[in-house]
Amino acid sequence: MRIQEVIRTINQMQADGVIERYAIGGAVGATFYLEPVATLDVDIFITFNAEAGRLLVSPQPIFDYLIARGGVMEGEHVVIAGWPVQFLPPHSPLVEEALNEAVTQDVDGIPARVFSAEHLAAIALQTGRAKDKARLLQFVESGKLSAERFQAIIKRHHLVAAWDKFETQFLTP
Amino acid sequence: MSLDLETIFAGKRAFHTNLAERPIAEKLRMLDALRERELAIRGRTAPSASFVFREDPALFRPKPQ
Repeated sequence: MRIQEVIRTINQMQADGVIERYAIGGAVGATFYLEPVATLDVDIFITFNAEAGRLLVSPQPIFDYLIARGGVMEGEHVVIAGWPVQFLPPHSPLVEEALNEAVTQDVDGIPARVFSAEHLAAIALQTGRAKDKARLLQFVESGKLSAERFQAIIKRHHLVAAWDKFETQFLTP
Repeated sequence: MSLDLETIFAGKRAFHTNLAERPIAEKLRMLDALRERELAIRGRTAPSASFVFREDPALFRPKPQ
């Protein structure tokens, strides 16, 4: 069971042209900046390579590619190296921007594209579940966020009111 | 060891910061281990009908006349 193996496989899939671009999000993405927190799956955000002549994009080529290399379908996940991996298209302009501006990090010589800390924090604010609020709080307390960059993102994506509420709820003594 | 809360909280903060500052490869290995442990715990405590803890409902009876 190794996440590094998952990253290597996704890189290869990108090199083979199955996906255009990817970035790691969710708890695994957050681990690049924060302390590790137990998670059961890996969220990979991707842009699909649309097949010629087709208007609708399908994740099927991804599944076919991975199954041919030993991956196993498990519900909406593909299990790679023991980890259930979920492939997600960008579902909002914020996630689309996060995917475009993802950063490449080095994991023992393996390049990994990951959402920036500011985008992960903004996505947590937008998603707004209890665990997302906890993650956002961790980001704030870690000092890993560029305040200027984070403020610009939440302004661009109309999250200022949500941030004000969060600030009042969790950051005001 | 101290029983002073401020010292305890400062120690906890330092511990979390130290974890966050570890090399990425090491933190990803921790995620691998955390998931294995989580799965082991879930497997051991999978809900089964015989294992469910139920509280007896309160008994409401009319007061004897």
